[in-house]
Amino acid sequence: MTATHCPYCSLQCGMTLVREGRAALAVQAWPEFPVNEGALCRKGWSAAGLRGSRERLTSPLVRDRETGELRTASWDEALDLVSSKVRSLQASYGADAVAVFGGGGLTNEKAYQLGKLARVALGTSQIDYNGRWCMSSAASAGNQAFGIDRGLPFPLADLERADVVVLVGSNLAETMPPAARHLDRLRARGGHVVVIDPRRTTTADRADTFLQPVPGTDLALALGLLHLVVAAGDVDEDYVAARTTGFDDVRRSVAVWWPERVERVTGVPVAELQALAALLGSSARASGKVLVLTARGAEQHSQGTDTVLAWINLTLALGMPGREGAGYGCLTGQGNGQGGREHGQKADQLPGYRMIDDPAAREHVARVWGVPATSLPGKGRSAYELLDSLGTDGGAKALLVFGSNIVVSAPNATQVTSRLESLDLLVVADIVMSETAAMADVVLPVTQWAEETGTMTNLEGRVILRQQAVTPPDGVRSDLEVMAGLASRLGSAGVFSEVPEEVFAELALASAGGRADYAGITYDRIRAEHGVFWPCPTADHPGTPRLFASSFATADGRARCVAVEHRGAAEVPCEDFPVHLTTGRVLAQYQSGAQTRRIKDLPDTGPFVEMHPMLADRIGAHDGDLVVVATRRGELKAPARVVSTIRPDTVFVPFHWVGANRLTNDALDPSSRMPEFKVCAAAVRT
Amino acid sequence: MNGRVGGRRRIVVVGSGMAATRLVEELVASPAATDLHLTVLGDEDHAPYNRILLSAVLEGTHGLDTITLRSAQWHAEHGVDLRLGARVLGVDRERRDVVLVDGTVVPYDRLVLATGSIPSLPPIRGLVRLDGRLHEAVHAFRSLDDCRRLMAAIGVEVHNAGDEVTAVGDQTAHPVVRPAQRAVVVGGGLLGLQVARALSVRGLDVEIVEGGEHLLRSQVGSPAGQVLARDLRRLGTTVYTGARAVRMSDTAGGAVGLRLDNGYTLDTDLVVLTAGGRPSTALARGADLEVRRGIVVDDHLASVTDPDVFAIGDCAEHGGRTTGFVGPAWEQASLLAQRLTDPDGDATYTGSRSVARLRATGLDVAVLGDPERATADGGDVVEVTNPVVGSHRKLVVSDGVIVAATLVGDLSRIGLITQYFDRGTRLSGTEPAALLMGDRLAPPSRLADDAEICACAGVSAGRIRACASLDEVRATTRATTGCGGCSSSVAQLLADRPALTPSS
Repeated sequence: MTATHCPYCSLQCGMTLVREGRAALAVQAWPEFPVNEGALCRKGWSAAGLRGSRERLTSPLVRDRETGELRTASWDEALDLVSSKVRSLQASYGADAVAVFGGGGLTNEKAYQLGKLARVALGTSQIDYNGRWCMSSAASAGNQAFGIDRGLPFPLADLERADVVVLVGSNLAETMPPAARHLDRLRARGGHVVVIDPRRTTTADRADTFLQPVPGTDLALALGLLHLVVAAGDVDEDYVAARTTGFDDVRRSVAVWWPERVERVTGVPVAELQALAALLGSSARASGKVLVLTARGAEQHSQGTDTVLAWINLTLALGMPGREGAGYGCLTGQGNGQGGREHGQKADQLPGYRMIDDPAAREHVARVWGVPATSLPGKGRSAYELLDSLGTDGGAKALLVFGSNIVVSAPNATQVTSRLESLDLLVVADIVMSETAAMADVVLPVTQWAEETGTMTNLEGRVILRQQAVTPPDGVRSDLEVMAGLASRLGSAGVFSEVPEEVFAELALASAGGRADYAGITYDRIRAEHGVFWPCPTADHPGTPRLFASSFATADGRARCVAVEHRGAAEVPCEDFPVHLTTGRVLAQYQSGAQTRRIKDLPDTGPFVEMHPMLADRIGAHDGDLVVVATRRGELKAPARVVSTIRPDTVFVPFHWVGANRLTNDALDPSSRMPEFKVCAAAVRT
Repeated sequence: MNGRVGGRRRIVVVGSGMAATRLVEELVASPAATDLHLTVLGDEDHAPYNRILLSAVLEGTHGLDTITLRSAQWHAEHGVDLRLGARVLGVDRERRDVVLVDGTVVPYDRLVLATGSIPSLPPIRGLVRLDGRLHEAVHAFRSLDDCRRLMAAIGVEVHNAGDEVTAVGDQTAHPVVRPAQRAVVVGGGLLGLQVARALSVRGLDVEIVEGGEHLLRSQVGSPAGQVLARDLRRLGTTVYTGARAVRMSDTAGGAVGLRLDNGYTLDTDLVVLTAGGRPSTALARGADLEVRRGIVVDDHLASVTDPDVFAIGDCAEHGGRTTGFVGPAWEQASLLAQRLTDPDGDATYTGSRSVARLRATGLDVAVLGDPERATADGGDVVEVTNPVVGSHRKLVVSDGVIVAATLVGDLSRIGLITQYFDRGTRLSGTEPAALLMGDRLAPPSRLADDAEICACAGVSAGRIRACASLDEVRATTRATTGCGGCSSSVAQLLADRPALTPSS
């Protein structure tokens, strides 16, 4: 029996794996693990289903020059091919001719090693990852406001201690179901749950208050709420004076967001706005605890960073961050969305959440890596910009992909696919033939969850351990082995260990003194303590479940109130594209579906187009009819799902299948470089 | 050009209201800001504030200090020369300068007139005293000073948000012998209704006198006006329509009597004039700029007389129209900011869609566009009046697009209707009516066996009905083991199972 964690989302539910017979694995509850207390959604219960799949890749594949088809190859042939091609491209075009693309599902060890592979073995600045498309706006806002980016600065169970929890753009009852138990307990205690979403989701069904704004207007909504809080004199002036800077600017900036204006922009009636502001204000006056949580619905916008800052400002005005059971948090999405952004697979960062343009950070990390700091490249392009530049002058000619299915998950996917086609070399390491692997010149079959060991950092900043439970199938290698094989073929400096625990120890050293400090964490401690919260600088440090109690991670210890303005979505409805399109998840699938779509216990419904009966009547569609959704970038044909729970001016398409992201907009947030996945203008027709 | 400040182009803005402030904000935020020198001449003594919210301050929902838009310090920090209490005497377009009442001369390269509107004085005898000043019981309601004076008259002095004190007698800046108990609001337009409601909320007995046949006559038709009048009466406010105040005279104890042309005389402590305003154009006329109702501007918001003089906001007339709303004023300000920083840009003004929302507790009113004109222009009208609940809603539709609307007493769909209006969304023939109807409630029914009960595990009602106990449900279906949201439904389904064996 092996204690481990679910292979999917950032909740990283604890579970135990039990061998049944020679090869089969069964999932069982692990009630002692505090985040989910034994609960799992059907993705977790069926997680073992991907093992033994007939689609599992067990041999490297190389595209045959003659036939253009993929054929099996030996590991040596495949890795030799990759390294020789990399060398010749770099000789012709320079080190940045090779780019690396990682993922928020990779373990900390892999994410760390991938950053090192890029900076040391390949010497390229061109590395980024799909986490850029996850919570990067919240990360950027958290860094600006609090001086640190840890999704939740408190344990998830703190939700139960709040008096009011406001969920902005989160459908956690579907995306991380066991987390909803905390909301139910809060309500059982008499607390109040507020859900803000253009769709009345199953999460909204469990809320006391539901607001249904126009997609892309959560920022204006936050400004409007702060306006009313200021007007009513509900600002916690003592807190603002003692623990923040910049609030006066913010206070002035919301004077123009009176309720009737907010109503016109957001589509939320004045009365609902006033009721929510009164709830927040009265709760704060009575020394109650208000907790605001954002997720992708609020963050995946070209003004995502500012949207999060606006909600943070509201919590600061109410005097909440730093109090137990109160404040602001981001519900990170991917399994290792938190850890994946801390250890160097981001274009501008080195391990320990260090910035790559900080000379001291470069010195420290270079010393751990045993290379001169001057050899480390600088800042590279952000995820979408990196992909958009592939094959162009100045862009990379080769791309190595680990743990990402770009063809399905990138915005404006048709454009990204054409960029991938223009590459001289596409290498994809994956467990199955994903849509991206199918385009590759070299496919490298790697181990998956339960066949390997490694740490993840969940949405709370808790570092946890996924342990190996079974032997991997013959023919596959771990990502760490792949990276070591490439590094040695490239004659790289430094050590590229294949042993996860050794890599973790090195990561801990590299992170020491950084903002995300793992120096005191070991596998043994994680096993003994149900995970350890970073920062944990020394072996005798207990870890840090709660941040901000006495100060923030800024230079002066105060939180920054940053005045922000609502600019609106990059694309608004017009005559030709009259409705808003928003995207999201369904319970039974995960991300690009490369894993979940292959599990037979999970229904693979395919994409659908959710729309309101009034809109369906307008275009003459009935439930189940095939309809076409078109945007300036592409079209998708899928059955209509006619529901009265969505705004009539909005349609929704889940993004787990090819197609949804051919529609989405690649407009980027200026600070986080997050694409605007969550809103664009679309037309629907039968 | 000669006389530039440090080689920078001098932009002088006359006015410090909402249009002017938005213009200044956009100019200082633009990359071209370093090439500009901005001077703002505000005739009031206060830093720019949100005029829209004065009635909210009067009502008490907003503290006086919460409506400031930009402090004097902000202007200084951004290098903007803000001059408060600066009354402009005239503009000399030959010399390209502005002369203030105190003799100061302010040269410009580009001049922006954002002078707003001024309240018009209704022809009521006794309103103005022999010395030319307004009778002290008479109040206008346009500026922050007007608001303060009116609040003092009703015995309320607001210092800060949430820090309101009731002042009595000579503690206030404006000594009041006895706080006013009764008020008459002259004018039943948007501002009049807001002021009337604010005074009611403050505990005064309020009467409204409207010369037209119904309330809000510039915005809505008679049925909507009647619904409103009924609402107001329900809230304790008397409404006189089709009646004009003709004479005001002093009565005992500092009170006044306001005589109407229908023969009534209303005894009151206060008279608040809200009966309309007109664009403030005296300066433009004096400078020989073309003025009709407002200062006539072209699609670049430049005066048709002088391309270096611009007008935005309530004082400007574009395409034969003036507006009194902040939305268009801001759109003009943004566009002018682009124009001033990029004269070769293609930004042109084509008019705005306006939504008027009454900001008054207890009255729900929204007017989108100009419903009466849109109706007269041949739009199709879909309307629902429900006297039982006191609502009147009317959509004016042209080619499937909502071009105007009146919503009184029921704003349940406003968040959608305004979106359709603003976006020009083309609707189906049945949609406008559907928008005015409530959602039908689905009748409760026995859950079908294939209805999903547990989304986490994907379990139908039938599979739960097939189980004998909660333990069996958990073991065989895994329902209730995820988010826990189905626990009560599962318990209900188990409880509703027909007993398999007769109980004894």
